[in-house]
Amino acid sequence: MYYIHAISSITHQNTFRIDNIIKELSPIKENSNLISPDYKEFIPGAALRRLSPVLRIGLTAAIDCKNKIGKKFDAISVGTALGCLRDTEKFLKTFHTSTSDFISPTSFIQSTHNTIAGQISLGLKNHAYNMTHTQNNLSFEMALIDAIMCINEGKINVLVGSADEKTPFLELLQPKIISKKYPLSTGGSFFSISKTKNKIGIIDVKTIFNSKNTELEIKDFLKKHKYETKDIDVILHSDSNIEIPKSCHFINFLKYSGLYYSASSFALHFAHDYLISKNKNSALIVNDICIDKVGLILIKSNEA
Amino acid sequence: MNIYITGYGLISSIGKNIDESLSSLKNYSSGIEESNLKTTKGFKVGAIKATNDELKKEFNIKTDCSRTALLGIIASKQAFYGHNISKNIRTGLISGTSVGGMDTSEFEYKKYLESEKHDINIYQQHSSGISSEQIAFELGISDFINTISTACSSAANAIIMGARMIENGFLDRVIVGGTDSLTKFTTSGFKSLMIFDEEFCKPFDKSRKGLNLGEGAGYIVLESEQSISSTKKEPLALLSGWSNASDSFHQTASSPEGFGAQLSMLEALNKAKLKPENIDYINAHGTATPNNDLSESYAIKKIFKSTPPFSSTKSYTGHTLAASGGIEAVLSTLSIQHGYIYPNLNFKNPIEETELTPNLKFIKKNKINHVLSNSFGFGGNNSTLIISSI
Amino acid sequence: MNNLRENLKEQIIEQLNLEDIKPEDITNEGDLFGDNGLGLDSIDALEFIVLLESKYNIKISDPQEGKKIFKSIDTLASYIEKNK
Repeated sequence: MYYIHAISSITHQNTFRIDNIIKELSPIKENSNLISPDYKEFIPGAALRRLSPVLRIGLTAAIDCKNKIGKKFDAISVGTALGCLRDTEKFLKTFHTSTSDFISPTSFIQSTHNTIAGQISLGLKNHAYNMTHTQNNLSFEMALIDAIMCINEGKINVLVGSADEKTPFLELLQPKIISKKYPLSTGGSFFSISKTKNKIGIIDVKTIFNSKNTELEIKDFLKKHKYETKDIDVILHSDSNIEIPKSCHFINFLKYSGLYYSASSFALHFAHDYLISKNKNSALIVNDICIDKVGLILIKSNEA
Repeated sequence: MNIYITGYGLISSIGKNIDESLSSLKNYSSGIEESNLKTTKGFKVGAIKATNDELKKEFNIKTDCSRTALLGIIASKQAFYGHNISKNIRTGLISGTSVGGMDTSEFEYKKYLESEKHDINIYQQHSSGISSEQIAFELGISDFINTISTACSSAANAIIMGARMIENGFLDRVIVGGTDSLTKFTTSGFKSLMIFDEEFCKPFDKSRKGLNLGEGAGYIVLESEQSISSTKKEPLALLSGWSNASDSFHQTASSPEGFGAQLSMLEALNKAKLKPENIDYINAHGTATPNNDLSESYAIKKIFKSTPPFSSTKSYTGHTLAASGGIEAVLSTLSIQHGYIYPNLNFKNPIEETELTPNLKFIKKNKINHVLSNSFGFGGNNSTLIISSI
Repeated sequence: MNNLRENLKEQIIEQLNLEDIKPEDITNEGDLFGDNGLGLDSIDALEFIVLLESKYNIKISDPQEGKKIFKSIDTLASYIEKNK
C-alpha cells in the first residue's frame, strides 16, 4: 500500500485547501472558470509573472502539499497530457507572425512539458529525481506508477500529480477530435504519498492499451487483489459504458472535473474524500477518457 | 538484478542505421550542413537527407504519422529486429520526445492563425503520447506504452524508466529511447535563446558559440535475465547504472558548478557500484553552448580526479534534443561492444577555466568496460546512464 | 531625455510582464538584474534585446554585450541615445 498524506487540487470546483471536497462539488457548467487561490501567497512575483495557469497550479499545489507534510520530497513525478499548451500556442504565434531577427524566448522556455515539474524543483529548491510523463489520458497513471516504483526503491516522500490546461483553440478542436462531450476545463491535483500508514492507501494502478473488454480487465485487476466488482463501494468513471453490480455506487467524475485528459488525478482526490466522509472501504477509478486506453486505480481505506 | 541490452537502432544525419553511423564516426564525417529546408533554412543543422515519403518507401512503413513518429518507428524497428512478441514476455515501449507531432501541426496552426482553412485531423497526431502509440503499434507492442518528456534528457529518462520497470518486476523487456524531428518550433526557440552557432558547433572549445540542431531517433532493447533465458538473445552490454537529479538553479541555464550534473553522475556511479576511475569513456552532453559545456566541465572535474577520455558526438549529429540520450546510448553500447572512443570534432583550444581537452581521434581499444553518458534538459533535468561490458 | 527613461520603464514592465511593479518603483541608477535589483535573469536580457529592436530599431546580436548595456535604466538610456 502507498498511503496518501497530503492532497492539493486547483480546479473549476472549490477544491483548494478544503478538507472534504465532496460537499463543495456540483456538476460543472459550460463556461465555468478555474477557481484560483491567491498565487502570490505561494509564489514570488519574479517567478509568478512568467507562469501560465497550468504552471501556477502545479507549483502552488506542490508547495501546499509540502507545507502539509513539512518534509522535503525525495522524488517528484508529474503527468500532463498536453503540457504547457498556452505557452506552446503563444510561441507558435510569436514565431509565425514575427518579422524580426529577434523573438521573445519566454513562451518557448515555458512551453516544454516538464516546465511544471521543473518549476516545482526550482520553487521547492529540490534536487531529487524529477520526471514528466505524457501519455494522453493515462498521463497521471504513468506518473503514479513511477511514484510507486520510487517508494519501492526506498524513497520516503514522493510528490505525484498531474495538471492540464484548456485554451480557446482546444475548445475549437473538441467537437472533432475529443470523443467525450463535457465542458473542457483546467485543473491539477497533487499528492504526497509514502509507505507510512495513513487513512487512505493506493493498492495498485494499471494501464491497458487496446482494451477490448473493459469489464473483463476490471475483473482481472480486482481479482489480483482478491476483490470482486461487487466488493467495491464506489466506482469513479469517465462517462464509461460499463456494466457494474447494483450494490456499487457509480459516479461519473467528468461531470465534476470537466474534461482534461489527466483528470483522473481529480478522481483520486474525489475518491479519497468520499471514502473518508462516507466511511466506506474501497474505491476504483476507471479512466477511459480516450477510447480503448484504460487506467485503473484501486484505493482502500485503512479505517472503515 | 542485471539489465541487459539486447538490441539497438538509430537514425540521424550521420546514418540511417548502425553501419552507416559507425562509418561516419570513423571518417570524421559530420552530418551537419547548411540547411535548405523550409523549417531550418539558413541554419547549420543535422538533418536526415530524405523526405517522409522517401523514408516510408525505403523502410516500408505505411502508418500515416508525423516525422517524429516516423523516425521513431525506423530506429525502434532496427532495435527490435529479431525479437518476437510473445505472451510470456511482458514487453513495453517507453519513448522520449519533446515535440511529438509538432512538425506537422505547426504548419496547420499557421493556417489557423491566418484564418485559412486548416485540417483539424492533423492535430490528432500532435500529442507526444500519440507518437509513442504509433511506434508501439508498428512493433506490435501493447502491454505497456509510455512517453517521457523532459526536453533534452527525455530519451535518457525513458531508458531509466524502462530499467526501473524491469527492476520492479512490472516488465520483462522494454524498448527505450527517444525521437525528435526538426521543427520550426524548436529552431525558432533556440534562435530566440540566441544559442545557435552560425558555424559548425564546437563542443568544449574556448570559442564555442552554441549548438547546431539535429534530428533523429535512437532506441535500445532492455531485458531481464529471465527474459533472456526465454528469448535467447545475445546480450550486447549491461545497463549498469543510472540516475536523474535536479539542478534546481534556473529554467534554462545550468548552475555554474553543475551541481545537478554532479549529483546525477555520482548517483549513477553508486547505482553501478563503480568508482570514477572505472569509467573508460564519457559520452558528454556537450551541446557546445557556452553555459552547458563550462558547467558540465566543472562537474566532470569535480567527480573525476583524473578525467577519462570524453567527447561530444553532437559535433557529428547536431543536438537531436529528446532523441539525443537514445542515440548516445546506442553509440555507448557500440563503444562497449567494439572498444570505440569517438572523436569530438571542431575542437581547438580548451575552456580557460577548466582546461579540459576532449578526445579528438577515433580510437579502437582492446577493451572498454564502462561508458558514462550524460543528458541534461531544460528545467535543470540531469540524467546519467552507465553502460558496461558483460 | 527623462521621457526616454520613463518610457523605458513602462516598456520594460510590459515586455517582462512585471505585474506588481510600477514605473515609479524602478530607479534610474539601480540594478535591474540580480537579487539586489529587480531580480531579472538571462531570459529577461533576451527580452531586452527584443524590446530594443522592436521599439528603438537597435540590434544587439551578442547576448554577452547586453550585460553592461542592461545594467540600469541610465545605462540603457544612454546606449539608446548613442545608437539611435
